[in-house]
Amino acid sequence: MSISAPRYVSGPVVHVGRTTRALAIFRRELLRRATWGPLLAVALTWLVVVAAATFSVAFSSLTGFSAMSGFESPYESVAWILLILIVAATVGAGSLADDIGSRAITLYLSRPINLSDYLVAKAGATGTWLLIAAVGPGCVAVALTTALGYVSASTALAAVGAYFAVGIVTAVFFTGVTLVFSSVTRRSLYAGVATFGAVLSIGVSASVVSGITGNTQILYANPVTLTQTMAEAAFGVSSSSPLNPTTCAVVMVLVGVVLATLAWWRLARIEVVGE
Amino acid sequence: MPGGLLQADSVTKRFDQVEALSNLSVELAPGTIGLVGPNGSGKTTLLRLLLGLLPPTSGRLSVLGHDPQSEPLLVREKVGYMPEHDCLMPDLSAVGFVAHMGQVSGLPREVAMSRAHDVLEFVGLKEERYRKIREYSVGMRQRVKLAQAIVHDPPLCFLDEPTSGLDPQGREEMLRLLGVLSRIGGHSFVLSTHLLPDTEGLVDQVLLLNAGRLLAAGSVRDLLSGGEVHTIVRIKGDTRAFAAALSAKGVAVEVEGSDLKVTLPGGNTRTIFEVAQATQTQVRYLGPSVRTIEDLFLSMIDGAARRNGP
Repeated sequence: MSISAPRYVSGPVVHVGRTTRALAIFRRELLRRATWGPLLAVALTWLVVVAAATFSVAFSSLTGFSAMSGFESPYESVAWILLILIVAATVGAGSLADDIGSRAITLYLSRPINLSDYLVAKAGATGTWLLIAAVGPGCVAVALTTALGYVSASTALAAVGAYFAVGIVTAVFFTGVTLVFSSVTRRSLYAGVATFGAVLSIGVSASVVSGITGNTQILYANPVTLTQTMAEAAFGVSSSSPLNPTTCAVVMVLVGVVLATLAWWRLARIEVVGE
Repeated sequence: MPGGLLQADSVTKRFDQVEALSNLSVELAPGTIGLVGPNGSGKTTLLRLLLGLLPPTSGRLSVLGHDPQSEPLLVREKVGYMPEHDCLMPDLSAVGFVAHMGQVSGLPREVAMSRAHDVLEFVGLKEERYRKIREYSVGMRQRVKLAQAIVHDPPLCFLDEPTSGLDPQGREEMLRLLGVLSRIGGHSFVLSTHLLPDTEGLVDQVLLLNAGRLLAAGSVRDLLSGGEVHTIVRIKGDTRAFAAALSAKGVAVEVEGSDLKVTLPGGNTRTIFEVAQATQTQVRYLGPSVRTIEDLFLSMIDGAARRNGP
């Protein structure tokens, strides 16, 4: 290795603003997660949702059922939430844990950005991946069924709106969950397992306790029931859920925001410059 | 507070019961500054305060005329920071990583990429810049850390133990690189280290810390020229007898191998020649003892210990 004189010319550079700096972190994080694990999880979600929704809509048109119930069908299975959970665990688990583990967070926080800028950029990248998984396949199914002539343009538009509504709320919820677990460990594997385990165990426990006690309000702690209730309302499908769909959406968004705030609180206590 | 390079006005930082920095007041001009002290002396705490990552318990700080507490982003825009510990993203190439850090520092994307190439060439990683950082040796990683600290061309850089973990050759190369950096006009850097020889010939100002207290601060030349002046004497003959004769004349003498370290009252060398004549000894060498920052640091610690008593 040789040392050569610096070639670069020090000159006046117009520095970009904080938003652009945060966007640089967002882009980097978005690309960084494009590895085999997340790509496979997203691909699987797309495959399952596109196939289920398309066949259901095609079947509905033959049997005279509402096409919207066909679009809503992927949410009726636990498989959808499991797939989104896998995407969240593989994408979001490393978003903070990797930087804490490599201590790259030191470099970020010693630069001209706030902790909030950093966290919003990271959350944005995780949320975008979740949106791709939660909204993307639904939109493809809508496009496919419209192209095949199974649904009208107005139904297609309504279905896309419903996919976006459910997808955004789900993305906010799972982004918050993964961020908080990612902020408490240096290993993304632990954060991923914790995300998966926590959501599933809380969901199953809530269902069991609700079944035993007969208290349906406990189901507000079950992400599967929350998503299904919300989806049924968004797609205008008759629901047997005892929960209020608006309250379900509020609970999911609130939990996501509170957990993201917890992640911020946790990061603010990290020793940025260690001995 | 007026705008110098660095200023601290009665700064104290306490962590629960531990006082990491105690009533630190110092003003440093632009240039190369050695932040020197043993581990746990408060160097890193001072860097954290200067970067605005910690609030002082009391007192005020100024970095390039800005208060790190009220204007942390302005300070960090003008400051580059090279941490002591590993902090790189192993899955990125050096050029991708340095360019990314340039963007987060506020450079437009194209400028950041261009600067990344230039600074990696500057630190001697031109050929290896597309390799993943995980494949780099410790020395190469240190160079990437330096490159990311200077990519946005900051007027001030904080370098925390830049030679840490390097083999002797790597250390020499890093110090040579810092020497080149110090000669680039308009750039100042603070070299934080517990390895005092690293600062020799590299820094023009020094800030000596011990147990959170300021021992000395200012120009290296002024600090090294202060205090007792020693003279090194080399003779042909019986060194011990010569030393005893000098002592008998009231001159303080230390035998250091074949040399004598003599403290002459008023710097008058006449006594040495009188003793040489009396003892029939030939003086082969007579010259001032060259004081190092390490000598200064040790004498300061010694002085502080004497003042504080047993």
